[in-house]
Amino acid sequence: MIIDRRDALAGMAAMFGASLFAPIARAAATQVTPISAGPPSSPVFTPPQRALMTALSERVMPTTDTPGAIAAGVPEYIEKLLADWASPDDRKPILAGLDAIEARSRADYKVAADKATPAQQDALLTLAMEDRLPGGADFFDKFRQLVLTGYFTSEVGITQEREYLPVPGRYDGAYPYSEIKKVFSS
Amino acid sequence: MTDQFDAIVIGSGVSGGWAAKELTEKGLKVLMLDRGVMVEHGADYDYDGRPAYEIPARDRMPEPLVKSDYFIATHGYVSPSTQKFYNNDRLNPYAYDEGEKFYWIRPGAVGGKSLIWGRWSFRWSPEDFEANKRENVGIDWPIRYDDIAPWYDYVENYIGVSGSRENLPQLPDSAFQPPIQMNVAEKWVKERLEATSPGRKLINTRLSNMTEDKEDQGRSKCQFRNQCGRGCSFGAYFSTQAVTLPAARATGRLTLRSDAVVSNLEYDPKTKKVTGVRVVDTKTKQAEVIPARLVFLCASAMASTQILMNSRIPGTAKSHFDASGTLGRYVMDHIFRVGISGDIAGMTDYIEYGRRPGGVYVPRFRNVGGEEGVGFKRGYGYQGSARRDPLPPQGFGASMKHGMRGYGPWKFGMGAFGECLPYEDNRVSLHADKVDRFGIPLMRFDVTFRDNEIRMMDDARSEGEAMLRRAGLTNVTSGRSEHVPGDAIHEMGGARMGADPRRSVLNKWSQAHDAANLFVTDGAQMASISCVNPSLTFMALTARAADYAVKQLKAGAI
Repeated sequence: MIIDRRDALAGMAAMFGASLFAPIARAAATQVTPISAGPPSSPVFTPPQRALMTALSERVMPTTDTPGAIAAGVPEYIEKLLADWASPDDRKPILAGLDAIEARSRADYKVAADKATPAQQDALLTLAMEDRLPGGADFFDKFRQLVLTGYFTSEVGITQEREYLPVPGRYDGAYPYSEIKKVFSS
Repeated sequence: MTDQFDAIVIGSGVSGGWAAKELTEKGLKVLMLDRGVMVEHGADYDYDGRPAYEIPARDRMPEPLVKSDYFIATHGYVSPSTQKFYNNDRLNPYAYDEGEKFYWIRPGAVGGKSLIWGRWSFRWSPEDFEANKRENVGIDWPIRYDDIAPWYDYVENYIGVSGSRENLPQLPDSAFQPPIQMNVAEKWVKERLEATSPGRKLINTRLSNMTEDKEDQGRSKCQFRNQCGRGCSFGAYFSTQAVTLPAARATGRLTLRSDAVVSNLEYDPKTKKVTGVRVVDTKTKQAEVIPARLVFLCASAMASTQILMNSRIPGTAKSHFDASGTLGRYVMDHIFRVGISGDIAGMTDYIEYGRRPGGVYVPRFRNVGGEEGVGFKRGYGYQGSARRDPLPPQGFGASMKHGMRGYGPWKFGMGAFGECLPYEDNRVSLHADKVDRFGIPLMRFDVTFRDNEIRMMDDARSEGEAMLRRAGLTNVTSGRSEHVPGDAIHEMGGARMGADPRRSVLNKWSQAHDAANLFVTDGAQMASISCVNPSLTFMALTARAADYAVKQLKAGAI
């Protein structure tokens, strides 16, 4: 992480949008706040929303020759993140997008979206991606980011879809891609 | 109790660790204090070697926690795997006024910034120690490059610095281990940049990550994990834990106390000596004064200055150590947040194996050896690297997934680090009303960059773009974001050294003009800041001061 700070691209990153400096007098609690672990402290999704979110995560990152989003625990990651690791506002576009997809599924296919066929779910996701649903593109971009982040920080993503070198031991700055034909995990 | 310790070292970072090593090895019984939590080498690196899925929140700092507790540390890139090493900004606050933003990015553990630093390690140049005098800026350094050069040798040979010999007057070579290699794209940029921008160089980084083992220290060379910030059980880079603390402990003369914040120094104006160090236990809030014959103040530039300022003449707001009126003034930080990037065509058969720390460096080329009439004094260097990112997602589903199994083109990026001049009214002070949970007055920052620094960054941006274009990169773009003092985490000054006690806090031995048994050997002592990273210079000045202090002690002069 340290080198990231030194990275030239950091000069371009919009890191200083909102002022983060909190009032200095807020030192009420004297303990360091631990990072929440375990299941979500409170549910983010209703059961139908959760079922749809789970199904769509697998459509975004499906099982192919390597496991997909569900096997990688992406749905659990997304709910945990939105419950405890993100700002409360971050769940709004996700919930709104799921609800819009649900409504469109019932209109077009007369079926709950999580029960729709994979082909129908793909069509619904495409509508969102092309912003042909209310809040569709915003939902699609953010939901895909959640899926990709969850997937590529999971054991499946890091060690199966990508190649992980726990202790590379050496550096080769001209290593043939043909030797691996994959991406190395960071 | 009086004779329990010969010396007290305040702070256990880059400077404090070196002070403890040198003083104990020279026979002194030393107490080293740190306000942070204990972190033992290896055993307390909770996330060393762990992939993201074994780290809380996948090693991404939860946004609510950043906003509540790490709103300053986030500028130093705190993450769940490094959280223990960082200051909690809610519990340990500071102050600045509207429009005077300062990021005081602090560590919060034994080892200090040696656990969280970027590890780029450069010698300062003869020019760096002479420019103040020639330009009549600030105060003349009371030392020259030749005074510190043998101490650079000394610390480099011990810690291990990798790099390439270049024979550049503006960036003297260290006693190097072999450099970490450039990748194929960086070699391409180097060849073309040096051919199309005569006199300018693109060189291997100089890094405290080792390329050769140091078996006598139980340290291994870098394993190319690039997870340095989590703590490195290989001891492959310089940290207090891996390097100076084991050496000090091996003498049997070190006592290390964590969770102990120093509020002030006790002082006897008759003998003109520090008599003790007032310590508050951060867990019990119990305070005590520990007597001291010799004190090395290495709490970090700003914290050392705070401790000096809070060592007040009874009944006054005046520090014992501020007869010159310069204490807390001439605070500096490197200016950065200008970045330039571009694409490199070809070489797409190749990727990188291993995760390399560091990258490449473009040494200063402005005003080398005298002013060039470019509209500003001093200069800047660029830190950069070339890399290939995984291909971005297209659409969704199997085609997206399999489409992300390749890499995009080589991209080169670099960011400028510029020298900030010393200004009298760039100052820190103690807040008049607000105190922290230990009763210590808050630090207050009044530090801003000035025209010279802003013009320097203008130049760094335009020259950087021009250089990369001339070298044949495409899609060359640049960016710039807010320049906030402190953001480079190279804050220095506040208790500068100088020959004249009326104009400086310390003498040429890092020794207080007003207390022969007090040495301040961290960044507080700097009279100017070069444009290169300072930690190696802190180490060399600390070792030099320790050598002098012990000789003075043995001669009965302290």
